[in-house]
Amino acid sequence: MTEGLKLGDRVFSSRLLLGTGKFSSTDAMIRAVRASGAELVTVALRRFHPGRPVDDVLAPLAAIEGLMLVPNTSGARDAGEAVRAAQLGRELCGSPFVKLEIHPNPHHLLPDPIETFEAAKILVGEGFLVLPYMPADPVLARRLEDIGCAAVMPLGAAIGSGQGLTTMSMLKLIIRDASVPVIVDAGLRSPSEAALTMEIGGDAVLVNSAIAAAENPELMASAFAAAVRAGRDAWKAGLMPQSDAAAATSPLTAFLAGGEAG
Amino acid sequence: MSAAPPDWLDPLPWLDLARAAGPSVVERSLRSSEPGIREFAALLSPAAASRMEALAQRALALTRRHFGRAISLYAPLYLSNYCPARCTYCGFSADLRIARHKLTPAELEAELSALKDLGIEEILLLTGDRAAVADYPYIRDCVRLAAARFPNVAVEVFPMSVDEYRGLSAAGCTAVTLYQETYDPARYEQSHLGGPKRDYHGRLDAPARALAGDIRVAGLGALLGLGEPLFDLIGLFQHATHLRRAFWKGGVAISFPRLRPEPGGYTAAFPVDQNFLAQAIFAFRICLPDVPLLLSTRESPRFRDGMAGVGISKMSVASRTTVGGYDLETVPSGPQFDINDHRGVAAFCAALEAKGLQPVFKNWDAAYREDTASVRAAQ
Amino acid sequence: MNLVVNGEAYRHNGQSTIADLLRECRAEAGRTAVMVNGDIVPKSTFDMVRLSDGDHVELIMIAAGG
Repeated sequence: MTEGLKLGDRVFSSRLLLGTGKFSSTDAMIRAVRASGAELVTVALRRFHPGRPVDDVLAPLAAIEGLMLVPNTSGARDAGEAVRAAQLGRELCGSPFVKLEIHPNPHHLLPDPIETFEAAKILVGEGFLVLPYMPADPVLARRLEDIGCAAVMPLGAAIGSGQGLTTMSMLKLIIRDASVPVIVDAGLRSPSEAALTMEIGGDAVLVNSAIAAAENPELMASAFAAAVRAGRDAWKAGLMPQSDAAAATSPLTAFLAGGEAG
Repeated sequence: MSAAPPDWLDPLPWLDLARAAGPSVVERSLRSSEPGIREFAALLSPAAASRMEALAQRALALTRRHFGRAISLYAPLYLSNYCPARCTYCGFSADLRIARHKLTPAELEAELSALKDLGIEEILLLTGDRAAVADYPYIRDCVRLAAARFPNVAVEVFPMSVDEYRGLSAAGCTAVTLYQETYDPARYEQSHLGGPKRDYHGRLDAPARALAGDIRVAGLGALLGLGEPLFDLIGLFQHATHLRRAFWKGGVAISFPRLRPEPGGYTAAFPVDQNFLAQAIFAFRICLPDVPLLLSTRESPRFRDGMAGVGISKMSVASRTTVGGYDLETVPSGPQFDINDHRGVAAFCAALEAKGLQPVFKNWDAAYREDTASVRAAQ
Repeated sequence: MNLVVNGEAYRHNGQSTIADLLRECRAEAGRTAVMVNGDIVPKSTFDMVRLSDGDHVELIMIAAGG
């Protein structure tokens, strides 16, 4: 079994992925990315406006050794827009990976399962390695896996909500049945939640707001990195079983006494 | 040269654990929240046998969690005992001079009526191995007749192709049961002396073909006592988990047919006593908590009553293993195996209810199924 | 020629290939994706594809986010 996180034909030794949005400055974002040890970050697509100053993130990100940039289709409201965004992203990043994210409702930013599935089908057909952000639904996870997505990315809670692993029981089912990596994305607030995600068998986590909005994003990024490593090691080490509450009932096996007769 | 079991099935790596797991391994396996093959093998061990009550308690808790207090009931109906196979253990073997019979459509309708009168809503249609007089078209037609009157129709017949399974599904078949009998290729070869059943791999792969052919549930089992029990039980576990992983939309169910001493009958090479049968059932329930586990009337009333709801979630009732046999007009033929629980539906239901269990005859209504609607329309 | 760039009216004073437009806007060809009238233009063709009067052009780049 490969130790690293295997996506498509790439293997990543870091299981912490970062989103690059919401930082106070590009400089703060770059320092957090470096501190996190992340080897994959998601980036957004924006219009370049002639005559307006450009905040170039591409150059400083490209300067980080071994870092892969994956475009995110966030902003797309339906499959058509997401496919277009993915194609533009491929032009810009030169990689077949795309983080597929379609959230039509701007209040809770929850992913649209139907548009996501439709877009994933099209994009897989066009040779993309699709990483779909999705509701924590075990059936949808299998459907996306069946059509060829390179991973599934179920949410822990709504983007930016910091509510943690509200979908824990569903995540466990997804992890149990998946044959592709499960990358829990969105809603994590603390490194302990990232560790817990790894302890229950998650393959990786993607964190953005929890780091960007921390008081000290650079330090928080390295804390998350440590937590992801700790959680992964704990999972590999095999946690001790929890004890069951004993059910006090009368003996169930008395009927076996006396052998085969009767 | 015998076939070899495929890698995903091979019980060999787990036999040591099943033979000699220590008490602490058994304890961890009992408490594991995600038990797998290692835990299953450990729960088959002698050390686990000395923890039977603990195994039973865990099996009870998990059966209640996944099945409530319901016991699903069904009845078997043999359509035909024509059989080209020569299986050493079977009352239908081609070597035996027994009265052979196949139900005509009129006889089938009479049997179905008799079963309906008993309150049965789920039937299992059985035949011998693939015989010219009782081949796929006959079975498909019987399924169609049965599905017009029963919401759940399962078959236990012989390995078919994906297309044949699709045809059965379209005719209204919801489940296919096929026992591998033994997962040990050498024992398999020794036990099946003639006929199409000699094909170990063809039989092994049939449940997968059924699930690929729109059948909802594949019923598995090993004839306990035919081969080395630990080998067969581990093989059965691996078979079940392999199918669940490959066919996430389909389900599996597991039965526990056991060779019991019958006067003048076949003597099991590896007899399994009822204690070990109970242990095996508990182990399956603990490690596959949401898989239906079935017990037939081959077992005694006391054993069936003890195991109902403690691992076992589904049971046959009021069974006949002769061809037909429910409708008193049908000429009875020799049985495939002896029944030990002769209680009728009412008596068995009373026994279940006395244990706080609820007998359930029907889980869902076939009116939701498009094919049944078209069958009704065609009548 | 008159173009619509990123939804706004824009007057292009160059030679009218995409590469020319990018130079005029000070966008880096290697870091900008271009759509003309809804179709993505591969960057290998920026020097060859000519714009026409009234074309709708989108210029997209990577930014922090996602």
